[in-house]
Amino acid sequence: MNKWLVLFRKEWLEMVRNYKVIWLPLVFVVFGLLQPITLYYLPDILKNAGNMPEGTVIKIATPSSGEVLCETLSQFNQMGILVIVLAFMGIVAAERRSGMMKMILVKPVTYTSYILSKWVSALLLTFVSLSLGMLAAWYYTILLIGSFPFVDLAQGTGIYFIWISFLLTFTLFLSSRLKSSGLIAALALLLGIVLSLVTPLLEKWMKWSPAQLTGAASSLLTEGAAQGNVLLPLTITILLTALFLYLAVREP
Amino acid sequence: MKMMEVTALSKSFDTVNAVNNLSFSLKEGRCTALLGPNGAGKTTTLEMLAGLLVPTKGTILFMGSNQADYREHIGYLPQQPVFFSWMNAVEYLVFMGELSGMAKATAASRADELLELVGMADAKKRRIGGYSGGMKQRLGIAQAMIHEPKLLILDEPVSALDPVGRRDMLEMMKRLKGHMTILFSTHILHDAEEVCDDVMMIHKGELAVAGSLPELRRNYLENIIIISAEESLDTWARTLERWTVITEVRVRNNTLELFVSDLDKARSQLLAEITEKKIPISSFTVGSTTLEDLFMKVVGK
Ligand SMILES: Nc1ncnc2c1ncn2[C@@H]1O[C@H](COP(=O)(O)OP(=O)(O)OP(=O)(O)O)[C@@H](O)[C@H]1O
Ligand SMILES: [Mg+2]
Repeated sequence: MNKWLVLFRKEWLEMVRNYKVIWLPLVFVVFGLLQPITLYYLPDILKNAGNMPEGTVIKIATPSSGEVLCETLSQFNQMGILVIVLAFMGIVAAERRSGMMKMILVKPVTYTSYILSKWVSALLLTFVSLSLGMLAAWYYTILLIGSFPFVDLAQGTGIYFIWISFLLTFTLFLSSRLKSSGLIAALALLLGIVLSLVTPLLEKWMKWSPAQLTGAASSLLTEGAAQGNVLLPLTITILLTALFLYLAVREP
Repeated sequence: MKMMEVTALSKSFDTVNAVNNLSFSLKEGRCTALLGPNGAGKTTTLEMLAGLLVPTKGTILFMGSNQADYREHIGYLPQQPVFFSWMNAVEYLVFMGELSGMAKATAASRADELLELVGMADAKKRRIGGYSGGMKQRLGIAQAMIHEPKLLILDEPVSALDPVGRRDMLEMMKRLKGHMTILFSTHILHDAEEVCDDVMMIHKGELAVAGSLPELRRNYLENIIIISAEESLDTWARTLERWTVITEVRVRNNTLELFVSDLDKARSQLLAEITEKKIPISSFTVGSTTLEDLFMKVVGK
C-alpha cells in the first residue's frame, strides 16, 4: 500500500509536469461550453451568415436544457474518447519501451501495484475532466437556456463515466501488452466505435453492450429517467472492466 | 558465507539459448567480475539474478533461501540505465529510495550523501533530461545503492564512461567492496583484474572458467621463460621438450619460449644447464601469460 502510494504520487507528479492535468480537463471544459453556446446563438449565427434570400424567417426551436446536455455527452463520446485514448495509450507501453519499467520493477514493488497506480490515476484524471466538462455545460445551459436538476446531471454523467472507464481500462490493458502506441490507440478506438455503431443497429442482440450506457445516460438527461434495462449493461460493463484490469495486472 | 548460490541456470528466448546450465556462487563481501564477449549472456544472467527475467530452468538461492523476494537486498544498475527526464536527481533518488521501502526523510538524506559520493552535488536540482551520459551513469550507480543493498549488481558500469569517469567508478567500487557484495559484468579485462577478487568467464551462455584471481593465476595462467641467444637453439630445444617441468616449447629464430609448470625448479635447472653447456644466451626473461590470453583462449580466438 505504501509503495502503491509512492507510485501513485509519481504518476500525478508526471501528469503535472507534462501538463496533462491541465490540458485534459481543458479539452472537456471547452467542448462542454461549446454545445450550449452554439445552440443558443445558432439563429443569430445563421442570420449573420448573410447569404439567405431577403425575408427568410429563421425558425429554430430552442432545444431544451436536457437536449443540450445530451448533445454535449455525444460530443464527449467522439472527441472525449479520442483524447482519452491518445492521452493514455502509452501509459504502460512507453515505460516498457524505454526500460523505465525494469528500473522500477527491480525494486521490491509488485507488478500489480505498478499497474494499479497507473489505472487509478488515469481513472481519477478522466473523472475530473469529464465532471468539469459536464459542470461547465450545465452552468452555461442554465445561464442561457433554462434550469436543469443537478441530480439528473450527476446520474447521467455517472453512468456515462462507467462506459468511459471501460474503454480506459481496455486501453490500459492493451498498453500493458503491446509495444506500439499507434496500434494500442487504433484497437481501443476501434472497440469504442464498433460498439457504438453496432449497438443501436442490432438493438435486439446487444442489450448487454457497454455502449447501451451512452443511450441510458442520454435518456437520463433528456427524459429524467433511463429507458430500458440499465442493470444488464451496467453489470456486464463492470465485469468486463474488472476482467481487463485483471488481465492487465498479470505479468505478461 | 554464500550470498547467492546459482544452480543450473538456463534461459532461452525462442530459439536462442542465451544462458545455458550456469552454476556458481557469490561469496559475501567479495567482488566478482562476470566476463564474456558480446552476446555471451551477461545481461541475461544479471537480469535473472535481479528478478527481472524468469529463468527457463535452474534455481537461485539468496542467503540460503529460494522462497523470499530478495529484491530489497539488491541494487541493480542496468547496462543502459534510464530515468524520468522530468525529475531532478534528488527527486529520482528519493522516489527509488521510497520504492525500496525507505521513509521519505531517510531517503532524502541518503540521496544527498550519495550525490556527494558520486560527485554530482552541483547538479542535483537540475532536470535529469539535461544530463550527459556520464552523469546518468553516476546517477544510475547512486540509485542502485540508495537502500544500502547487500548485493550490488552492475551491468557494464564503466563502458559508457570517459577515462576520468572510469577511474572514479573503479575507485568507488574498490571502496564499496568491503561493505557489500558486488557482481559486475565487463569485457574490459584490465578493470576486472584491478578491482575484483573473483572472476567468471562465460562464453555462449556457458561457464568457461571461474575462480579467484590468485586461483586463476595459479591454475590457468602459465609461467613462461623466454631465452634468446646469439646462435640457433634448435638442438638444445629438442632436449628440453623431454623435461617434465616444461609443458611446451616454441622455437622462433634464436628465441625459445618455454611454458613451465614449476617456475622455480625450471629456472634453476635451466640456469644450471646454460652454465654447464656454456650456451651463449643474450637474455633470460621470466613472465606469465595474461588474463587476456586466457580470455582469448576461452573465446576460441
Ligand atoms: N529479449 C530477447 N529476445 C531474444 N533474444 C535475446 C533477448 N535478450 C537477449 N537475447 C539473446 O541472448 C544472447 C545473450 O544476450 P545478452 O544481452 O545477455 O549478452 P551480453 O553478454 O550482455 O552482451 P553485451 O556484451 O553485448 O551486452 C544474445 O544472443 C541475444 O541475442
Ligand atoms: Mg549486456
